[in-house]
Amino acid sequence: MSTEAIAVEKPKRNYNVLFGLTLLALLVLLWIVLSVATPSFASGNNIANLLRQGSMIAIMAVGQTFVIITGGIDLSVGAVVGFATVVVAMMINAGFPIWLAILATLLVGVAIGMFHGFGIVKMGLPPFIITLATLTSLRGIGLLMTNGNSINIKSDTFTAFSRSSFVGIPNLFWMVILVGVPAYIFLHHSRWGRYLFSVGSNAEASRLSGVNVQRTIYMAYTLSGLCAAFVGVLLAARIGIGNPTQAEGWELQAIASSVIGGTSLFGAVGSVHGPLLGAFILATINNGANLLNVNSFWQRIITGALIIIIVYFDGLRRRGK
Amino acid sequence: MISTAQELHPAPVLEPGRTILELRGLEKRYPGTHALKPVNLAFKSGEIHAIVGENGAGKSTLIKLLTGVMPRTSGEIIWEGQPAALATPHEAMALGINAVHQEVVLCRHLTVAANMFLGEENSRFGILQQRAMVRQAQTIIDDLGFDLPAHVTLGDLTIGQQQLIAAARATVRGTKFLIFDEPTAYLTRKEADQLFTLIRRLKGEGVTIIYISHRMEEVFELADRVSVLRDGTLVGTRNIAETNDAELVKMMINRSIEQVYHKEHFTPGAAILEARSLSGKGFENVSMTVRAGEIVGLYGLIGAGRSEFVTTVYGRHRKSAGQILWEGKEVQVNSEHDAIRLGMALAPESRRDQGLCLNLPVGFNLNLPIYKRISNNLLISNTQEKTQADRQIADLRIKTPTRGALVSSLSGGNQQKIVIGKWLAHGAKLFIFDEPTVGVDVGTKAEIYRLFGALLSKGAGIILISSYLPEVYELADTLHVFRRGKLVATHGFHAASHEDILTQALAEKQEKLGGQI
Ligand SMILES: Nc1ncnc2c1ncn2[C@@H]1O[C@H](COP(=O)(O)OP(=O)(O)OP(=O)(O)O)[C@@H](O)[C@H]1O
Ligand SMILES: [Mg+2]
Repeated sequence: MSTEAIAVEKPKRNYNVLFGLTLLALLVLLWIVLSVATPSFASGNNIANLLRQGSMIAIMAVGQTFVIITGGIDLSVGAVVGFATVVVAMMINAGFPIWLAILATLLVGVAIGMFHGFGIVKMGLPPFIITLATLTSLRGIGLLMTNGNSINIKSDTFTAFSRSSFVGIPNLFWMVILVGVPAYIFLHHSRWGRYLFSVGSNAEASRLSGVNVQRTIYMAYTLSGLCAAFVGVLLAARIGIGNPTQAEGWELQAIASSVIGGTSLFGAVGSVHGPLLGAFILATINNGANLLNVNSFWQRIITGALIIIIVYFDGLRRRGK
Repeated sequence: MISTAQELHPAPVLEPGRTILELRGLEKRYPGTHALKPVNLAFKSGEIHAIVGENGAGKSTLIKLLTGVMPRTSGEIIWEGQPAALATPHEAMALGINAVHQEVVLCRHLTVAANMFLGEENSRFGILQQRAMVRQAQTIIDDLGFDLPAHVTLGDLTIGQQQLIAAARATVRGTKFLIFDEPTAYLTRKEADQLFTLIRRLKGEGVTIIYISHRMEEVFELADRVSVLRDGTLVGTRNIAETNDAELVKMMINRSIEQVYHKEHFTPGAAILEARSLSGKGFENVSMTVRAGEIVGLYGLIGAGRSEFVTTVYGRHRKSAGQILWEGKEVQVNSEHDAIRLGMALAPESRRDQGLCLNLPVGFNLNLPIYKRISNNLLISNTQEKTQADRQIADLRIKTPTRGALVSSLSGGNQQKIVIGKWLAHGAKLFIFDEPTVGVDVGTKAEIYRLFGALLSKGAGIILISSYLPEVYELADTLHVFRRGKLVATHGFHAASHEDILTQALAEKQEKLGGQI
């Protein structure tokens, strides 16, 4: 073994941290530029608003990342969010206690995720297809349940939650921490997290090493469904209605956040902090563009360009150029 | 476009013995590794030049630079007297430099014929001439004496057969300079002989050949000259007639090895595994017993059903008939999970497809089977994760900058060590090693065999599959010979001669594979 080599090599962990720091720097830079460019950006109100916007995508992005690490994709999350707003709204209006309504909604998310696992593992469907199918049919089921109407939620305690803050920070952002910390421990410090990576890298090798590949896939999609249903609850509380057409296109924002955060769509590469930062970078760009009166069509173009640039540079660095 | 096999190898422009390719100060650095320190070496037209060296010595790196797969860091390559950039594989092929790489780099989902003509398909008015290509490919394959069908999907062939196709492919392109990187690693004697015939024939036609191998007897059988690399440095070049095994090994690893096949005999204990008339996909009616403290060797041609047998025992495939007994009791092994819980461990045949998570770190791969043991209910123990991985890295002398380096950045032999290493800490009772030393250098082989001894002394049993007869012959206490899915003969340690075993493994009547695949 050559000793000289040992000195030069940077372990992968450091690379992860480095990439996270780069994203954080980018986020801070954006904030500084925007504070200078528009006075309204740094107002407490706007920051709170930005955090609320970013939080929901961030939570979805975490679940999405678990799935992408296994080499899959979950296109259904936006539809799950919309569907969850309907479920929680109907249950609260039907007089169930709030905790029960929330719990039931989360279980619906789990069930949807299990269904995806079933489709992939037992029926052999590609993740893209089975989650695409749920995407369209969930919206349909929601519309059937509501007859196409919005449901106004008749509970102030429920809606008040998402508008209020705790020690000056919006409750919705606390929810990111509530999800993010266990997710981080799960992905980076538990063996189930390791199994997500190994399945994404080589499912056959994982199997032969004793990893329960099927269970791992079930787990990834279930967690993604759970995160999405949770976001549905938060969204229902924030806007005070249940409507199955809500959260249109959020699945793409969640995927974009994940990818900006360094997750590889080929699987086996990803983290928890990356997608969180990615979601807030996206939210900041949208927020800033609104304040600067940038045409919303341009916002979409900017987001697209950003995805290409960040992923390109990340790829370059990974290949060691 | 290719019409007949005869036109495939144009006469070389150079007379034999002249320098055809020269390396001047050729150097390669990867991030974190100085893989090739400036190397000067000249290849003579029409020679077979062997390159030997430890795992990670830089052999494959040298080949990648010569074939334009990787850019070099510095130095010059002189081809027929002119400096050559060799920036792309295309450029190398245009000059007539081809290679059969260590890992088969062909398209598994295409047919054999499509792979052979990949990049230079035969088409008329833009329409692929599929039938014609299959016919031509078959002619070429038959002409080379390989017993393989051209119309099947490449992925359906064994790795060894794929390697032969890769060799066939490399010969059809107006080759002047052909490089073989450990071509026989997955081949049995019979297939290796076919390959040697091909190599000698190419030499006769004036093609210059680089031959990389860890098997000394092959080097002495084939080569005219041999160069030794150590740690990225060229230690020396010898005429084959003026050197010997011991000298080369000494040059390679800077010390000598008294004995590669380290064999300890233990008195066998109780039966760990017993297969009774087991049948499944690819094998039928196989019975055998593995006892504590013994190595049971399985020898046979590639495709003889040995791997299928062990993967079925391991629960990867369903058995169709027969019984599996574990420590005397009948068990149902329905999944790998069941097998591992009983106490089995399998180091599979193909490191790329079955053995490794290539884009994950070395330490991760080494710990994958034992994560359950090194974590409490929730968290993985960081220190355990580190010490376990570092111990295997040290024991098997895995050449890697750190345990955090990605497996894909390791040399082939070092990757193979991980396939074995990840099971050593597992504490299994039955170890199944399927071609465990493919591409592993002599020094480490000796180390691995010593570790086998250590496992046996702890009361484990080992099933050892190898297509390399000396390995099973020298190590196995009981040697079973497989032929076409049947167990045809059983011998005690050194109880039969190499010739007898070979005859038993080869079918008396050679049939074409085409029908069965
Ligand atoms: N893509 C890569 N990135 C970083 N390091 C690499 C890469 N490829 C090879 N190396 C390093 O370069 C060194 C030489 O590797 P190489 O593959 O040339 O060895 P080799 O002589 O062919 O060994 P083997 O007998 O095991 O095939 C090794 O230390 C290896 O870890
Ligand atoms: Mg090599």
